[in-house]
Amino acid sequence: MIDSTSARRWKQVHRLHGLLPLLPIVLFLGFWEFMVQVRGLAPIYLPAPSSIARYLFEMIADGSLAYHLGITFLRIMAGFVMAAVAGVFLGLMMGMSPLLARMVDPWIAALYPLPKISLIPLLIIWLGTGEAYKIVISAVTAFFPIVISTFAGIRQVDRGLIKAAKDLGATRRQIQLKVMLPAATPSIFAGLQLGMGVTIILVVAAEMIGGSGQGGMGYLLIHAGQIMETEKVFAGLLTLAVFGAVITKVQARIDRWIAPWISESH
Amino acid sequence: MDIEVDNLTQVWGGANGVCALDRFTHSFASNRFACILGPSGCGKSTLIQIIGGIESATSGEVRITDPADKERRRQPLGGCSLMMWQNLNLFPWRNVIDNVAFGLEMEGLSRAVRYARAKELLASVGLPKFENHYVHQLSGGMRQRVALARALIMQRPVLLMDEPFAALDAQTKIVMQEELARIFEQTRKTILFVTHAIDEAILLGDEVIVMTARPGRIKEVIPVNLPRPRSQELVNSPEFGRLYEHALRLIREEVLNAMRQQEAVDD
Repeated sequence: MIDSTSARRWKQVHRLHGLLPLLPIVLFLGFWEFMVQVRGLAPIYLPAPSSIARYLFEMIADGSLAYHLGITFLRIMAGFVMAAVAGVFLGLMMGMSPLLARMVDPWIAALYPLPKISLIPLLIIWLGTGEAYKIVISAVTAFFPIVISTFAGIRQVDRGLIKAAKDLGATRRQIQLKVMLPAATPSIFAGLQLGMGVTIILVVAAEMIGGSGQGGMGYLLIHAGQIMETEKVFAGLLTLAVFGAVITKVQARIDRWIAPWISESH
Repeated sequence: MDIEVDNLTQVWGGANGVCALDRFTHSFASNRFACILGPSGCGKSTLIQIIGGIESATSGEVRITDPADKERRRQPLGGCSLMMWQNLNLFPWRNVIDNVAFGLEMEGLSRAVRYARAKELLASVGLPKFENHYVHQLSGGMRQRVALARALIMQRPVLLMDEPFAALDAQTKIVMQEELARIFEQTRKTILFVTHAIDEAILLGDEVIVMTARPGRIKEVIPVNLPRPRSQELVNSPEFGRLYEHALRLIREEVLNAMRQQEAVDD
């Protein structure tokens, strides 16, 4: 039997355990602040956390952060949705049709290893430096991991499940829709997560290169850097880090919601 | 359904391939429980997959006919049988009731009809409260029951079982064997049950077909005339002991043969 005082103590210990990951962060920020204040480093090179925080709050207060982040978010979603629809569709088609897979495979093999960022000059020639170029470059980049994972997912479906479905009277079409597609879902989600990661990278990079005067986190960063507003650069980086973490978490939540059997079955 | 297997041969991998099954000939009688016993790799799984229309044989023939049909018309392979797989092959993304109702869903029956039938089946295999669980949330024995219900719901006259209880712990296995014996005694399906456990074969079967090491041929057919309904207590009867000893002697020879073959391959 555990009496109530010791139970309470255990609860407190437990709560402290939850806070434990914060400890190194607090120590790190304290050390940083201390070094900047004591050693008198120029804020142009390394601003103190306190002044970064001040800039961050200012950017939140005047709405500029929300504006730039919102623009970047919309571009990411546009690029990601295009890549997801096209990539999953083509991946499924390739998985179901060996003929199509053999025709498409050389294209993917040639284009996948190409650094997509090297397409930026060409895309600017074709599309200008507006929205189209930023969305297309991110969509093209995200497309490849998505199509490859989807195709692999379909190809790796357990033959036993297909045989079992056939034995239970499933037609070819039913096997595709009710066995192959759900069995490939974990792989498709893995591809979508990879795709989302590169979409974020490419949108921010594209905003840095062609985005003068058009907003977005990439524009904010490059602009602040050019006028040596290092606090703003740090504030922008921090925002992007948190933004990326939130997107990853939300995606994992959606995965668990759509496919609850995955996380626990391994 | 009467199942006549005539000179069935299966060679994997072309002309110089491995002969899994060699001129297997046997008549499985309607409404009887036949156990196919043999060392690993003797082609027993191949045999029932061919009978179930899942694999096609290199040569030979399988004829399935309804004894009530005067004209003895042949039934299409796979059309009157259902397989319960060694690794069950349950669908991990479907909950229990949707796994059980899969076959009915493929037939296009409405959800209400499917679920009503599936619930009946789940109750009859002793798993009434787990409809909404996913496969990974169930114990080994419960998964077996789901797989059994998924097969039985199709109401096919022939049930093919490929070592379904091999992975179970000893106690769960006993319970599942008794459950299967009870279901057989109630439904009187024609059951072909592949196993490598001698006691299981004798306990469940009306006949035990002992197979040779690869290539699989029939070594001996042992009739089992133990009374039904059967339960685990039979194991202590002298008749069971006599059958066990006989089967053990046959199997031991074949397992030694199989090991010698394996050594020859390794050398």
